[in-house]
Amino acid sequence: MSDIAKDKAARLLKKTGSFSSLSSYDVKVKENMRKQKDSSMSTVSYMDDPGHHDDLPRPAQQMENTYQLNPTKYFPGATVNNILKDVLASYLQEEKYEPELCRQMTKTISEVIKARIKDLMIPRYKIIVLIHIGQLNEQSIRIGSRCLWNSSTDTFSSFSFCNRSLFAVANVFAVYFE
Amino acid sequence: VVFSADEASNIIKECVDSIIGGIDYNHSKINQWTAAVVEQSLMHLVKMGKPFKYIVTCAIMQKSGAGLHTASSCYWDSSTDGSCTVRWENRTMYCVISVFAVSIML
Repeated sequence: MSDIAKDKAARLLKKTGSFSSLSSYDVKVKENMRKQKDSSMSTVSYMDDPGHHDDLPRPAQQMENTYQLNPTKYFPGATVNNILKDVLASYLQEEKYEPELCRQMTKTISEVIKARIKDLMIPRYKIIVLIHIGQLNEQSIRIGSRCLWNSSTDTFSSFSFCNRSLFAVANVFAVYFE
Repeated sequence: VVFSADEASNIIKECVDSIIGGIDYNHSKINQWTAAVVEQSLMHLVKMGKPFKYIVTCAIMQKSGAGLHTASSCYWDSSTDGSCTVRWENRTMYCVISVFAVSIML
């Protein structure tokens, strides 16, 4: 399906240095849903480029002790919240929901947010940005997440935006790498 | 140690099937369903005993003709960290579950 094409495109766009996953998922209504009541379907997509793991295994690195128990600079939740507000409002304020536009928009927005957080130069933090954009159609949606991490150093930030025809939810998770 | 997306996706599919398998969308229960799906998946992932921090996100949406797009962008070490997304649907709802695994070893 188009997933394979998307995976190929993601592999072609591989850059050295930071690796970005550029997949987006859209959920469309199946026109002729005459399936049995209890049928359920699941599909799996891998956003990882499998090629990375086949590279020569790194030699085990010997690092000197830093004697540092906690991060020198903690992740600024409030600043990141402002970034999310800013980006979502500027990109989506006047937009109407359109499948093609929103597909591109999700990928663009997630890249932009990641770049702006990287500009904050917070050392030793790994960043995960997750964006959901959907149409407002009298339906309900629930987005929940749970994390297993060290709650003294790791944190998240979240912002939701909506206009007349669409809603957008942005989640940023920051994980400290000791 | 490398994150295995295959294993993770199997675990998640099982979790989702067991919790919202043959059920229709129900607004009053949606809260506990998302919580249950996410907590169960996290629990099973942890039982694998791998040195990873996990982030599990679940979005459940009623089928009403509306479209939904999801994208993620991650800044990490791609040789050890990984993610996996499972899209699941039944007659009345869609469920999109993303798992991000961040390694805690050099």
